[in-house]
Amino acid sequence: MRTKKFVYQMFALLVIAATVLSACGPKGASGQLNTIALPHDWCNYGGVIDAFKAKYPSITVNELNPDAGSGDEVEAIKANKDNKGPQAPDVIDVGFAFGASSKADGLIQAYKVPTWDSIPADAKDADGFWYGDYYGVLSFLVNTDVQPDVPKDWADLLDPKYNGQVALSGDPRTSNQAIQSVFAATLANGGSLDDAQAGLDYFAKMNAAGNFVPVISNNGLVAKGETPVRITWDYNGLAAIDSFAGNPKAEVVIPATGRFAGVYVQAISAYAPNLDNAKLWMDFLYSDEGQLLWMKGYCHPIREADMRARGVIPADLLAKLPDVSGAVFPTLAQLDNAKTLITGNWDAVVGADVQAAP
Amino acid sequence: MSQSTISNLKIMKPFANWKNWLGVVPFFLFAFLFLILPSLRLFVGSFTDNAGQFTFQNILQLFTQKSIIDAYWLSIRISAITALGGGIFGFLLAYSVTVGGLPKPLRSLLITFSGVASNFAGVPLAFAFVATLGRTGFITALLKDVFGINIYQSGFNLYSFAGLSLTYMYFQFPLMVLIMAPALDGLKREWREAAENLGATTTQYWLRIALPVLLPSLLGAIILLFGNAFGAYATAYALTGGGLPIVTIQIGAQIRGDVLHNPGLGYAIAMGMVVIMAISLAGYSWLQKRSERWLRS
Amino acid sequence: MTRIRKIPFWSWLWFVLGAIYFILPLFATLEFSLSMERDKIGLLAYTKAFEDKGFIRTFTFSNILALATIIASIILFVPTAYWIRLRLPEARRLTEFITLLPFVVPAIILVFGLIRIYGSPLDVPFTNIELLQPLTNSRFGTNILIVAGYMVLAMPYMYRSVDTGMRTVDVRTLTEAAQSLGANWFTIIVRIILPNIRSALLSGSLLTFAIVVGEVILASFLGVDAFGPYLFLLGQHLAYQPAALSFLTFLLTWAAMGLIQLFTGGQSQTVGAH
Repeated sequence: MRTKKFVYQMFALLVIAATVLSACGPKGASGQLNTIALPHDWCNYGGVIDAFKAKYPSITVNELNPDAGSGDEVEAIKANKDNKGPQAPDVIDVGFAFGASSKADGLIQAYKVPTWDSIPADAKDADGFWYGDYYGVLSFLVNTDVQPDVPKDWADLLDPKYNGQVALSGDPRTSNQAIQSVFAATLANGGSLDDAQAGLDYFAKMNAAGNFVPVISNNGLVAKGETPVRITWDYNGLAAIDSFAGNPKAEVVIPATGRFAGVYVQAISAYAPNLDNAKLWMDFLYSDEGQLLWMKGYCHPIREADMRARGVIPADLLAKLPDVSGAVFPTLAQLDNAKTLITGNWDAVVGADVQAAP
Repeated sequence: MSQSTISNLKIMKPFANWKNWLGVVPFFLFAFLFLILPSLRLFVGSFTDNAGQFTFQNILQLFTQKSIIDAYWLSIRISAITALGGGIFGFLLAYSVTVGGLPKPLRSLLITFSGVASNFAGVPLAFAFVATLGRTGFITALLKDVFGINIYQSGFNLYSFAGLSLTYMYFQFPLMVLIMAPALDGLKREWREAAENLGATTTQYWLRIALPVLLPSLLGAIILLFGNAFGAYATAYALTGGGLPIVTIQIGAQIRGDVLHNPGLGYAIAMGMVVIMAISLAGYSWLQKRSERWLRS
Repeated sequence: MTRIRKIPFWSWLWFVLGAIYFILPLFATLEFSLSMERDKIGLLAYTKAFEDKGFIRTFTFSNILALATIIASIILFVPTAYWIRLRLPEARRLTEFITLLPFVVPAIILVFGLIRIYGSPLDVPFTNIELLQPLTNSRFGTNILIVAGYMVLAMPYMYRSVDTGMRTVDVRTLTEAAQSLGANWFTIIVRIILPNIRSALLSGSLLTFAIVVGEVILASFLGVDAFGPYLFLLGQHLAYQPAALSFLTFLLTWAAMGLIQLFTGGQSQTVGAH
């Protein structure tokens, strides 16, 4: 009995000690930057963060939830309005539509980086509240060990040889990538940027043919061969091939028609606790160095045209990027319409058969 | 003192035992500070629209929008099925290592394993099952190559209600084991021996003695399993890509994600979940009272 | 009369069936994680996963958080369940409802709610005088906040375990006996009730442990250096390492649970023998 009490007391001491110890951290140290939703292998953000840390060794970078969606990032800003701690994001990287909505909600603040003028006008807010950072084109990542017959275009995916092999990278109701995939299919199937119905019909056809697998594909599933054709951003696919290192062999295909570009935007939170560091971060991202680091992650940096014109992009880096000529950039209004249509009708298009009774 | 005496006292002097309520103040304070208060946004947000104005529209949509009603029904079905299925087989597993007479080390093994497995969910669990029973899963391949059975041709599909239920069992069985093992320990061996001395068969022992004793714990465990499945999100999302639009995925679609939606509706749907949980709890309480009556008879 | 020990056929059957069901998916994960190198069984996925020192650091920290959560939960829930059983049966329904609420409150709503409330200073009403600094401003405060959050997440499981354990014990008789011997409340709870619900406490502790170590949402939005966010940061977009990590995590957590069980010593208790 006595030993039991002693054991409990020791336990309590251990816990108290541990928490006290853990409190001896860099509390409220000046020189912090709170980022959110930056997976390390998305556009080489790992390399970007490391380079930033090397450039400013006194700044501690707190990386909040790397898996957050744009909605989470916005919610994080709202929830942390009064909080100056490491939970409040300073900077966000969100889907195109979120730039305008965040500005309307008063969640972001204006800042124009030194290289502001070389950012294309249709990819930024005139007042400087948000600005495009990079873009990619929707593509097919194909595991060629399992499926050596590489599809060249959207129409190919309806072929019976891809039965049970094609998957999206998210749920079109919540994922930017997935919704743009459906939108992209529209372009290849006679639709236009103003009406995404053709894309929905296309996926309905694919589902009926049995080619569509309703699982959320990731690189593990591609490598396993369960979803040997994954519809994803080209930079994700190319980064995946690097990580596969030949096992399995894979290819990224930019579809011949229906080339759809998706832009993400950066912004500084209106309640950023570390405003100066946030500005340093933005300056870095939009410097040639930062933009090239994104390019290393196979993303097209937003200042690409300017950098090409000045010849600052190394030739080997240029060579690695696939040809995406003819890619179309939807406007905010078009994105919004498509979103409403796709999220509202996705259930009817694809969910029909899985709602059958067990 | 028996229950009825206490409740009689209660009727006679309703505030005599207010001091007793002091004993549970820490718990209610904790729940208020760290659960109720942070979740109040749920309640308030249900009545807010995208522009921040007060509205009943969200609540109305709960009852009128077919996709939401279907989502609730789907969630309830999968939770009920996995609670019952998980409950039954989990109980058998717990039985086997307690009263069932398997060697002690196996019990340790199962209990500790259940601890880990009870929380094995989301993408890792979905991947594990895909790697086992997916189209390129190794069991699928085994059945095809060795036994010549192609389960996908016979209509099996992991990415379906059945497949998801099967996957859910991975954390439902262990949960049941962990709750019921201590309860089964409470079955005193003397009762079994006494029953046998009086000539009872195994069936009679179980029906008249063991099950009535265990019933409250069983019911409590099953409602826990129900809630566990009801609130599950990550596994369903990973495995079916939102193709099975259960309630939690609907909520996620409204609140999270990369596409602008209607958070107010998401909160309203979550409030609906609270109501369903309350109703389930009421049902469970009613069953509890009946079972206590059975125990006393 | 000596009874011939028969082999419990059915028990073995259920156990074996369960074992098959549980082991197969784990085996599939392992098999995939070993296939990172082409046509070879190799540990490349594992060595790559360990290249980052963060694995041990975050796993240990999450273990500590888990222990803190377990202890705090026991301190809060055991007396509560005991008191309700003994003196306050009318509070039972409300308490059970509250303990089931965490199932229906999404973790993301909980964490943002916690941040909203505890991320701003506590002012004297209608003034600007700050009574309490926000918890989130210090690491210690954030740790307290996340342990509270974890307690909420684990509440359904811990409370149900404790409650089930108490049901098998005749709480009333034990209390009366102890009181007649002059024991105070603390002694009764710590020296009589707790030991009698040991196996139930073990179950609850194991469940809580698993939840805390695997938890991602609270930790990653509160900026806590825990295991869950670390795993996420490591590579959602890699192919083989996540499988290796999930298998490894499974084994390590299982080992940790074995330690917990060893520490609390023994499982089944024959209650009422004394």
